[in-house]
Amino acid sequence: MTAPFLAARGIAKRFGALTALSGVDLDINAGEVLALLGDNGAGKSTFIKILAGAHAQSSGELLVEGAPVSFASPKDAASSGIATIFQELALSENLSIAENVFLGRELKRSVLGIPFLKRGEMRKRVDALLTELDAHISDPEAPVGSLSGGQRQAVAICRALNLNAKLVIMDEPTAALAVAETRKVLSLTRRLAERGCAVVLISHNISDVFEVADRMVVFRRGRKVAERLRADTNPEEIVSLITGAHPDVRALERTN
Amino acid sequence: MIRLRTLQGPALTLSLLALLWVIVLVMLLALKPSVFSLGTMTSIIQFSTILALVSLGQALVIMAGGAGIDLSVGGIVSLSAIVAMLFVKLGLPPVLLPAACILIGTFLGALNGILVTKLTLLPLIATLGTFFIYSGLALALTGGAAQSGVPTWLLGWGRGTLAGIPLTFLTIALPAFAITGIVLVWTAWGRWIYAMGFNERSARLVGIPVDRARLILYAASGALGGAAALVSVAWLGSARANIGQNLELESLTAAMLGGIAITGGRGGVGGVLAAVILLVTLRTGLLQLNVNTVWQVGIVGTLLIFVLLADRLSQHWR
Repeated sequence: MTAPFLAARGIAKRFGALTALSGVDLDINAGEVLALLGDNGAGKSTFIKILAGAHAQSSGELLVEGAPVSFASPKDAASSGIATIFQELALSENLSIAENVFLGRELKRSVLGIPFLKRGEMRKRVDALLTELDAHISDPEAPVGSLSGGQRQAVAICRALNLNAKLVIMDEPTAALAVAETRKVLSLTRRLAERGCAVVLISHNISDVFEVADRMVVFRRGRKVAERLRADTNPEEIVSLITGAHPDVRALERTN
Repeated sequence: MIRLRTLQGPALTLSLLALLWVIVLVMLLALKPSVFSLGTMTSIIQFSTILALVSLGQALVIMAGGAGIDLSVGGIVSLSAIVAMLFVKLGLPPVLLPAACILIGTFLGALNGILVTKLTLLPLIATLGTFFIYSGLALALTGGAAQSGVPTWLLGWGRGTLAGIPLTFLTIALPAFAITGIVLVWTAWGRWIYAMGFNERSARLVGIPVDRARLILYAASGALGGAAALVSVAWLGSARANIGQNLELESLTAAMLGGIAITGGRGGVGGVLAAVILLVTLRTGLLQLNVNTVWQVGIVGTLLIFVLLADRLSQHWR
C-alpha cells in the first residue's frame, strides 16, 4: 500500500467550551471511496470543513502526500488539490455547463488586458470530461438551469476534476435525488475513484454507502468510533455503530 | 434546440420591442404623417443619446445583482455637468472639459459603489441618498442658473450630424454599447457579472471578486452618467442643474423594458438600446400629437407592465 494522499493525525476542534471533534486519526487513499457516517452532530461535517479549509483545527495535523499543511481558507485547500462539492452545489443556473465548469478560472486570451474567452477550447475540455465521466450530457453549452439534480452533480464533479482535484469531498450528493439519478451519481463517484481520485463521501443513506464505498468510518459524539472495510462489515453493524448500540462503541464510551 | 431556447428571453424582448416600435410608427404615420422627416429622426436619436448612456449604466448595475440599482444617475448627470463647467470657469483649460465631465461622473459613481460594497448599505437606499445629495448640490452650487461658456468646438460636436445621425450618438453612445456588449458576451468579466448577478454565493465560492466588480460597475454607471452630462453640455451649450431630472426612473424603465431582470443575472445591452429608442420615439410622437404629459407617463407605465408580463408568461410556457 502506498502512502495515503491525506493523513489526519489527532485532529480536534473546539468551539469555545464545546468539543466538536477530538483525536481523529484518518488516512484517505487515492483511488478509494471513503464514506463518513454518523448521526447529526457526530462531527463528520466539522471534519470535512477542516479538510476543505473552511475551519482550522484546534489541534492535530494534516499531511498531504506526507508533507504537513495548514489551510487558512478553502483556496489553500484547493491549491493542495482538495475540492469540496457543497450540498447546494454552487452553480450558476443562468450560465452554461462549460461556463460553470470554468467559472472563476476561465481559459482566456488577453487582448489589451481584456480577458477574452476561449470558448472553443473550454467547450472541448468540458466535452472530454463529460464523456470520460459518461455523464450523458450532450451539449456543454446547455444552461445549468435546464439540468436535473444528478446532471448538476456531474457538472460539479467536472468542475472539481477541472481544478485537478486529487481529493473530492462530496457532502450528501444524493440527498435530494430520485432513484435513477442517485444511481447515476453513485456511478460517477465510482468513476472518480477509478480515475485515481480520493473521494470522501458523506451520506445518511446506508445502502448508497454500501454500494459505492470501499471503506467506512463512523463518527459518534466527535470521535471516530469505527473504521471498516466494506467486505468486513454489513449494514446492521454500521447502523449499530452509528446509534451506539454496538458493543465496541459501548466499551469505548464506558472508558471515558 | 437548447441553444434556441436560451436565446428565447433576449430574442423575445427584442422582437417585442421591434413590434411595438413599428406599431408606434404606423400609428404616428396614420395620425400625423408630417412628423416623418430627417429632422424628427435626428432629434429622436439626439434625445436618445443621453438616456441610452444612463440606461446602459443602470442596466450594468442591475445585472450585477445584490439588489443593485442606481437611483442617483440623474443627480450624477446634473452634478457632473455643473461641476465640470464651474471648473472651466475657475480656470480649467476648456480642452479638458470632456475629461472632467467623465472623471467627475466616475468619482460620484465610485462613491455609490463604496457605500454599497464597503459600507454594505442597501443600494436602493444608498443611491436614493446620493441622488438627493448630488441633485441638491447641483442646484445649490448654481442657484438653478444655467452655466454657459461651452467652447464652440464642443458645440460643433454636440450638434453635428453625419447622414442625419447625431455625432454624439455615433461617437459615444454606440461605441459604449458595442464595447459593453463585447465585454458581457465574450470576456471572462462578462461571465462573472452574470454569475454574481444570478447567484452571488456561488460566485464568491468560486473566487470571483464580487465586491470589487460591483464597485467598478457603480463607477462605470457614474462614468456613463458623466458622458451623458458631456453630451448635454455639448448639445445645449450650457450646463443645467435640472438636466438629469427623471433620468433615474426613465433609465430604470428602459432597462426593464430592454429585458434586464431586476433580480440580476439576466439580460443584454441590445434590448436596452432598443427600449431607449422605443421610449424616445413614443414620447416624441405623443408630443407631436399634443397628448397631455400625464397620459404620456401613463402610456409608458402600461408598456412596461405589458412587456414584463409577456416575459413572465413566456417563462411559464417554457
